[in-house]
Parts: sequence; C-alpha cells; structure tokens
Amino acid sequence: MELTPQVTVAGLKFDLTIILGTIIAAAIVFGLIYFATRKVSMVPRGLQVGLEMLIDMIRGITGMTYDHKRAEKYLAFSFTLFLFVLVANQLGVILMITGEVHDPIPWLGITEETLKEHNGAAHVALLKSPTADLGFAFTMAISVALFANFIGIKNGLGSWLKPFVNPLHWIEEVSKPATHAMRLWANIFAGEVLITILMTKFPLYVTFVPVAVWIAFSLFVGMIQAYIFTVLANVYIGQKYAGGH
Amino acid sequence: MSILAASIMIGLAALGAAIGNSNLFAKYIEGIARQPEARGTLFGQTMILFGLIEALPIIGVAFGILLLFKVIGV
Repeated sequence: MELTPQVTVAGLKFDLTIILGTIIAAAIVFGLIYFATRKVSMVPRGLQVGLEMLIDMIRGITGMTYDHKRAEKYLAFSFTLFLFVLVANQLGVILMITGEVHDPIPWLGITEETLKEHNGAAHVALLKSPTADLGFAFTMAISVALFANFIGIKNGLGSWLKPFVNPLHWIEEVSKPATHAMRLWANIFAGEVLITILMTKFPLYVTFVPVAVWIAFSLFVGMIQAYIFTVLANVYIGQKYAGGH
Repeated sequence: MSILAASIMIGLAALGAAIGNSNLFAKYIEGIARQPEARGTLFGQTMILFGLIEALPIIGVAFGILLLFKVIGV
C-alpha cells in the first residue's frame, strides 16, 4: 500500500490525492454532460443517445422508490450521484498514478522515519480513486443520512420520532450509513490494493493475465457499486417519506 | 498473528460469499429456465443483489488488507 501526500492544516490532515481526484471526477462529469447536451435534438444522436439511456435507467431507480411526482424531483440528484460515484470509482482503475520518493518532503507528510520504514524509496500515490478512502465514502453516506432525516422531520416530527421507541431503530439508524459507506469504500479499496500488489511485487510476465482480469472485474464492480450506492441512497430517503414503515 | 487473523477473515468471508452467491445464481438460472423471456429484468435484479451480497465479504477483505499492511495493528 502506497503513501499519499498529506498537508496538515490546524491539526487536520488533508489528503491531496482525494482533493485532486474529487476535482477531476467532478470536472469529467461536468464536461461529459456539457458536451453531450450542446446540440440537443428531438432525434438523439451520438452522446445524447447514451445519456438518454442513462437517464432512463436512473428513472427506473427513482420510479420504484417514490411516487411519480417525487420521482421526477429526485431524478437530478440520483443522476448526479450515480455519475459522480461511477467516475470516481473508475478513476483509480484507469488513471492510477504512482511516483517514487527518495528524499523526505516534510510539508507533504513524508518524513525520514516513513522513508526508513520503506527502505529509502517510498511509493507515493499522486492520483487514485477518492472513493477508495474511508473518510470520503463516510462523508457521502452521512450526507445522505442527514438529508433523509431532514426530510423525515420536515414530513412531520411526530411520525419521525415514533419509530425511535423501538431500540432496534436506533441501531438501524447508525448501521445504515455505516454499511452504506463501507460497501462502497471496501469494494474500491480492495480492488485498487490488489492491482497495486500484483503490479509491484511480481514481474510483468507473471501477472499480465491476472491484472487484466482483475482490472476488468474492477471496472464491473465499480459500475455495480455506483448503481447500488444510488439505489440505497434513494431507498433510505424514500423510507422517511413512508413514515418509518 | 495479524497475518493469521487476516487469512481467517478473508477465508471465512469468501466462504460466506460463495454460499450466498451460489444460492442467488442457482435461483437466477432456475428463473430463466422457467420463464426465458424474463431474462433481462432478472439479470438486472440479480446483479444488484450480487453487489449487495459481495459487499460484506469485501469489507472483510478490506480490513484483512489493512491488518496485513499493519495500518490497523494488533
């Protein structure tokens, strides 16, 4: 597992690869949608066909969670969430960049001691999936959970409070965002680490086939997990509309 | 010690995932055999459930990797 450049500001550690990965993923999503919708026509052509198929797929998710009016309201949210998580997941598989550091860089968190632990040449990741970080996945999952509870309170404080009589509901409210985050993080993290181990610890002629197979599987898993993340976010928000049933 | 712990974690996670996936895909194939025209919808549903089943074992694998690289220590 490689190191990451970290900047410490007022006691808080900021991982630069995550910030860079988030910006790049957001830029890719923005650019893709911007250029796909430059010339919108009634008879779709080129990128517009793919985009409309994608929107229909997301409409399937929201359609099975809410009634018709709310489904249209949450379409943009779900579409953005799906596309962002999808691009962020594939970023580390396709565009993983790692460098080797021989000299200590104290302001990036690479000190003499960390170099000594890695025998003088530390592998430092410059770009990897932001979703392969536990903090990032938890941020997104907790945002969804907070929003769901906000919707619940807005829908009526009484009906939001009522299920809390059951102690199992307390456990559920904590475990929902926890599993939501870890599901995404663990899949992407395990995929990336295995690719790194296979590529760095063994010669290329041994690992060429396993790496190719695992990269294909990682792309598939990234897609499935982006879809599941969106489905679960919608289900968790939809549960609060139903009044805790 | 942590190598042993990581091995047991990953092994047991793989065992559970194998049982879950075998049940899921057996029923999927049974469903296609009974109603071949439902293949499209069944495939989508199966893949979502596959992702849900895979999640917990892969969480075990991820924590096993963290143990192996001594990020979290015993």
